[in-house]
Amino acid sequence: MNIILIFIAATIVNNIVLTYFLGICPFLGVSSKIESAIGMGLAATFVMTLAATVTWLIYHYILVRFNVPFLEYVSFILVIAALVQIVEMFIRKTSPELYRALGIYLPLITTNCAILGLTLFMVLREYNFLESVVFGFGSGVGFTLVLLIMAGIREELEFADVPEAFKGAPITLIISGLLALAFMGFSGIISTS
Amino acid sequence: MNISAHMIIVLTVVSLFSGLSLVYMNEYAEPLIKINQEKAMKEAIFKVLPDAKDVEKIEQDGRVIFKTVNEAGELVGYAFVAEGSGYQGIIKIMVGINPELEKLTGIDILESVETPGLGAKITQDDFKSQFKGISVSPGIEYIKAKKPEKPNEIQAVTGATVSSRSVVNILNTTVKEIKEIVKKIEPSGEGENE
Amino acid sequence: MSSVRLYTEFFKGFWKDNPAFRQLLGMCPLLAVTTSVLNGISMGIAMTFVLVCTSIVVSLIRKIVPNQVRIATFTIIIATFVTIADLFLKARFPPISKALGPYIPLIVVNCIILGRQEAFAKKNPLGRSFLDALGMGFGFTLALLLLGAIRESLGSGSILDIQILGTWFEPWVIMILPAGAFITLGFLIALMNLIDERLKKAA
Repeated sequence: MNIILIFIAATIVNNIVLTYFLGICPFLGVSSKIESAIGMGLAATFVMTLAATVTWLIYHYILVRFNVPFLEYVSFILVIAALVQIVEMFIRKTSPELYRALGIYLPLITTNCAILGLTLFMVLREYNFLESVVFGFGSGVGFTLVLLIMAGIREELEFADVPEAFKGAPITLIISGLLALAFMGFSGIISTS
Repeated sequence: MNISAHMIIVLTVVSLFSGLSLVYMNEYAEPLIKINQEKAMKEAIFKVLPDAKDVEKIEQDGRVIFKTVNEAGELVGYAFVAEGSGYQGIIKIMVGINPELEKLTGIDILESVETPGLGAKITQDDFKSQFKGISVSPGIEYIKAKKPEKPNEIQAVTGATVSSRSVVNILNTTVKEIKEIVKKIEPSGEGENE
Repeated sequence: MSSVRLYTEFFKGFWKDNPAFRQLLGMCPLLAVTTSVLNGISMGIAMTFVLVCTSIVVSLIRKIVPNQVRIATFTIIIATFVTIADLFLKARFPPISKALGPYIPLIVVNCIILGRQEAFAKKNPLGRSFLDALGMGFGFTLALLLLGAIRESLGSGSILDIQILGTWFEPWVIMILPAGAFITLGFLIALMNLIDERLKKAA
């Protein structure tokens, strides 16, 4: 039950982009085409799930055990960077097709604050192993969802008459604001009572 | 020099410096952080148990209970942290309860992410003060839009019924648990105070 | 002549290359912590500290770091300074540390910091890198301050917790919600575009 709640909370109620403002950069930059939004979303979901898994193990079995939790940020960011590299190499070797589809998005993910953000939240909220994996996966799904919605809106936007000063980032931000408002409608569904 | 050797040396030296400076910084910060946390915890406890002067931490069945005494060393009540999900996320509450475990002495919201202006009103005194002296048996209940009449009723915040209900539910569940645990740690204590 | 150049190195971060409004970098803390002026300023100071320290170190060691591992090296340096800032805030200013929460550690992945190292500190001497970092840090703090002031005054009717609007004012709750952050920033950037356009026409 708890697992389902964490998943729903991570995907829609406390969406990582719309409530925590994480992963805004690709959100503003990449998401003008639906296909690239799917690619980016899938790559991010994959890395997020993996990152949550690996950083949980590192935090609990290395940092806590050797009493050096203050190395959390340094080690997490290195682990994420290394992870992205490994995933990239692995995909390139095993599936050139998948690499063609996801490859160009992978390097961008290292500096995506959503990944580091979710690992930090995972530690702050004291999730156990299973909860962390689900949280990582849920955050990825939530990220993809918002990226897709945004890409859809922006494809339509190309035909809209936006005032000169609002073109580009301003209108995207305002739309994100309206989306955040719409997503607020989901809050309350995680309330257990 | 060989380029990969160069790379390894630079990375190692940088990491070494990084690690050393962090160890040094941590030596300085860690005791202070501990003091801060304890102070914050104590302040929260004294807020919900205004008569308390000293705190003793007890751990039992994975729960932490704070047993508090006044200046004369008499038991004034227990404090504990209750936690559960609210409208938008986790709500953490510091709760004070009297020695007989029948009435709350006060609550304080430690953490919440409820909607500002609506659900966040549960953190205001108007709402919190209703729990002072409220009876917890058989359980706290909330009513809407009218003044509470029974000793175990509180009035929900207008427009934030879900947040108010969450607080009440979190309190009821946790108080039940705490009662069992306190009975376990102080089997003899019960009769004495009555 | 060189003093004039140094002067621009510092002030470009305020308007022309403002990291937040112009380069659209570091959006996540900008949107997340600006529910109040105090949070905005604290975040700005922490960011400036990390940016300046990192730039100094990177500028000093720029000649000995091999190109292939520069990003990794920069990242370690950034993460180190972020941890120092985080520990310091936790030790000395626990309420601020609590209010900013995970957004302090998230400075690690803030594109402004790595961006300045790549674009500036790795190829410029100490003095210049220092001024560039300080200017960018202040420019970003200014953006945080502005957004914080707008959102706090309209969302809670106060500035730095001092009530400035009377009791007649019904706070616009949306301003302190995430939605308000997006919308306010959108309008601010549009406003800057508009001013720039006018200036260009006038010139």
